[in-house]
Amino acid sequence: MVNTLTPATTERAAPSTRSAGPVVDGRARVRRRQAVVAYLFLAPTLLFFAVFLILPLGFALLLSMSRWAGFDLGGIQPVGTDNFASLFADGSTFLAPILTNTLLFALGTVVLALAGSVVVATCIDNLRFQGLWRTLYFLPIVTTVVAVGNVWKFMYEPGGLVNGVLNTLGLGSVAFLQDPDTALPSVVVVHAWGSVGSAVLVLTAGLKSIPESYYEAAALDGAGPVAVFWKITLPLLRPSLLLVCITQFISGLQSFALITVMTKGGPGDATNVAALEMYRQAFLYGQWGPASAAAFVLFVVVLVVTLAQLWIFRRKEEDV
Amino acid sequence: MIRRRFPWVSYLVVVTGAVLTVVPFLDMVMTSFKGAGEAGTLPYRFLPDAFDLSNYRAAIDQLDLPVLFRNSVIATAVITASVLVTSSLAGYALAKLRFPGRDFIFRLVLSTMMFPPFLFFIPHFLILVHWPLAGGNDLFGRGGAGLTVSIAALAMPFLVNGFGIFLMRQFMVSIPDEVLEAARIDGAGEFGVWWRIVLPQTRPVVLTLGLLTFVHAWNEYIWALLISTANPDVMTLPVGIQFLQDFVDPTRTMPIVMAGLVLSILPVLILFLLLQKYYIRGVMLSGLK
Repeated sequence: MVNTLTPATTERAAPSTRSAGPVVDGRARVRRRQAVVAYLFLAPTLLFFAVFLILPLGFALLLSMSRWAGFDLGGIQPVGTDNFASLFADGSTFLAPILTNTLLFALGTVVLALAGSVVVATCIDNLRFQGLWRTLYFLPIVTTVVAVGNVWKFMYEPGGLVNGVLNTLGLGSVAFLQDPDTALPSVVVVHAWGSVGSAVLVLTAGLKSIPESYYEAAALDGAGPVAVFWKITLPLLRPSLLLVCITQFISGLQSFALITVMTKGGPGDATNVAALEMYRQAFLYGQWGPASAAAFVLFVVVLVVTLAQLWIFRRKEEDV
Repeated sequence: MIRRRFPWVSYLVVVTGAVLTVVPFLDMVMTSFKGAGEAGTLPYRFLPDAFDLSNYRAAIDQLDLPVLFRNSVIATAVITASVLVTSSLAGYALAKLRFPGRDFIFRLVLSTMMFPPFLFFIPHFLILVHWPLAGGNDLFGRGGAGLTVSIAALAMPFLVNGFGIFLMRQFMVSIPDEVLEAARIDGAGEFGVWWRIVLPQTRPVVLTLGLLTFVHAWNEYIWALLISTANPDVMTLPVGIQFLQDFVDPTRTMPIVMAGLVLSILPVLILFLLLQKYYIRGVMLSGLK
């Protein structure tokens, strides 16, 4: 609202300044005017970044090294690295099972989603009505996590669809989300199920960029479809595969909304992950300090993966 | 062509995958029509005995659906409008205007995409609690609940989006400078150039970014949950439906919840089906969702 109005006033003010002054100054004045306009256009954005990016980052860092409960800003007590130390102390659940779960969750999702999307994307590439298929595969992505989580939670129940299928096959029911051994894999399957659609999209785009002539040459050499897949498709798909792999891994490390909806981290800590632990410490127990420390540890993990991604992609570009 | 040698294998794989993708949605719809004691009982049955619409009635009554819908619509509309306006303005400045500090600001925009959202939950919440002169606070943000009890809190952390600015900037760079220069010579100010020349040219990107932002904002759960716990009046659809389970008749919990879910995902689904081309491009441009 403000941002649409303020530039308009400069526009109106502009012609009056234009007529005054010698021509030599014209270019400098135009440049100066452009700078003023640019900062006006950027003002809402910069204001937002100051309040909702830079201030919070500093605040979070301060909190991670403080003891503080409640909302009175005067009550913040600096405690140095105590919060971090207690995360990794003996008997703390943070390293195991929580951080371990986080990594297993991300890793499991990547493996399942990648395998599924590679198979589907290579097959879709051969078919008609590609748009229709892609739309179907896309449904989970545009759906809220509350819907996805609840439908699957219900499907995992003794009287739900998954157990219904197992029973029809003559198998007994499984208490998927109630059994600590099956709970985490069960949620991983749902998260992977929700990620396949976008991975398929990126991979189909990668497949389309492989020149048809490679396949024709392979056909002339008498290569079978399996050899073509391993020797041509997969190596040339490497950039897209890397992109999918790493972005999925990062989003897997961060995700907890699905777990919140499906298991709330239980049974016990069987499906608890770092972001959820942070959320619980902060908003269930009011432990701002330990929660912020947990957030920063997870952030460092994500940052390392992100930097690895940047490094791999830069190297990839140099290869070409 | 060698790739087309075994089409039936491809069909088998793709159709199986599509069935696995769609079946949970069908199960959701079917369950939403099931009567009392019909869902979640053994043996499992896919189809309902009768297509009973009373679960939809119950979901609407129990949820105060109009209020939830209103809150979701307001939050989503404000976020989408703000992201589009700020991204377009900032994108234009970064793409087409010369000013000191441009590279630094562009790098700042890029770096915002690196910070994961969970890092901000606590400080954003505390900043909104201490927002000056809101919700009973004094000028220094003390004494009240700040913005956490207002509907504004749902939207505030999402009003500007680094990816949106980046997307607009990349697209605007390709607009020829001559076109803008011609407009300036004709007497248009920078705001006029942005409004009359740049915006019409970027319509497809605006649609893409708008749709992407809309879907994200409509489906947002964790932040909305945080805010609505402080004040149920600002609850959004996803949060309300999650809470619904605690209130309804236990023999019909799942059918009623599923009915609520069907209603809540319908607007996004319709919009996606109408404009999927733009949404899909957004997902491709952002790498992955």
